[in-house]
Amino acid sequence: MNQRLRDPLDRALGSLPTEVAPEKDLWAQIEAQISASPPIHQREHRVDVVPRRHFNVSSRWLQMAAAVLLIAGSSFTTWVIVQRSANERVMRAQQFTVQQMQPVLNAMPASFGGADALGADYQKARAALCDEFDRRVAKLPPVTRARLERDLADLRRAANHVAATLGQHPGDPLLQQLLLSTYQSELALLGSLNDVSTPETVGVDL
Amino acid sequence: MLSGIGAIEQPSALDRALSADTALILAARSGDVKAFEQIYRAHIGRVLGICLRMTHRRDVAEDCAQLTFVRAWRNLGAFEGRSAFGTWLHRIAVNEVLTYTRNHGTRLEAETQGLDDAHLDTEAAQGAMPAPGTVDAGEVMDMERALATLPEGSRHVVVLQAIYGYSHEEVAEMLGIAVGTCKAQLHRGRRMLRERLGLGEFEP
Repeated sequence: MNQRLRDPLDRALGSLPTEVAPEKDLWAQIEAQISASPPIHQREHRVDVVPRRHFNVSSRWLQMAAAVLLIAGSSFTTWVIVQRSANERVMRAQQFTVQQMQPVLNAMPASFGGADALGADYQKARAALCDEFDRRVAKLPPVTRARLERDLADLRRAANHVAATLGQHPGDPLLQQLLLSTYQSELALLGSLNDVSTPETVGVDL
Repeated sequence: MLSGIGAIEQPSALDRALSADTALILAARSGDVKAFEQIYRAHIGRVLGICLRMTHRRDVAEDCAQLTFVRAWRNLGAFEGRSAFGTWLHRIAVNEVLTYTRNHGTRLEAETQGLDDAHLDTEAAQGAMPAPGTVDAGEVMDMERALATLPEGSRHVVVLQAIYGYSHEEVAEMLGIAVGTCKAQLHRGRRMLRERLGLGEFEP
């Protein structure tokens, strides 16, 4: 007799019946469940042709749809990245232009566009030039006077247009440069008559 | 030589049982429900025994046993014959019990009445008293009650190994635990059973 059979615990455990009869027959319920579903390998055998082909076709369409989605997605992502980098380049260029213009703008503190007033020094010099211009142009022949006044009016009208546009796009460096150039042209026109007609000039520090 | 031929012509009872089981399995795999019913009749006792001892609730055990056979039917194609069909079936049963335990809490209310009744039914059916030297029905019921009080982990290992004879490796695989854990749980369960049954430490 081996050790397991002499140990009372093993003897008691070994004496327990390994089989237990069910109180009710479970087969009826089992049969009801399995009759609706044949074994797996048999199910595969039965549905071998049509459903599998259908599945393959569906699978192929799904693969194609997935490929199209992947291509569209990657294209959109690339477009977004390119657009973003282009915008960043434009923004950097604008910032660079403004930085380049900053000394000029600081030297002539004129506010561009909108209702902001130009710098006080500029206004003072400009007023003096205008007075001198009016005084001297009155002595010129009518044809010359009309041409000068028309040129001056054109410049001022252009400046007003540019300033109005700049009011709508205050950060546009090209408009800022154009307005600055217009003001300079106006001052040059006012001063040109002064230089030609009289030996003394009005100093304007632009 | 003649005896060798005779051995081939007259296979052992185990061989006959195995070949009969194999024939039934093959028939069931091809959709023969009657063949599967014979498989059910041959295995329900042990499957229900495992479920009942692991859960200690007859209603839950019968549900698990029923699900075991339904799942076995659906997965007959996956049975490759590497282990005995009974072992494959018992793995499914243990899995059903563990799934039930996970879904309905880790502690099942212990109920030994079902097992007591099963023992009484078995005795009545056999119509015989226990043979001399063996344990009697009262001791068996005491053992069942002691088993029911074991912690779940220890009880599962004791049931599968000490009652149904599976190895540490097989039990560990069935329960999804390490072999070392399995050994520790068995040791703990046996110690607790000795305490509860008043059995001293056995010294060979």
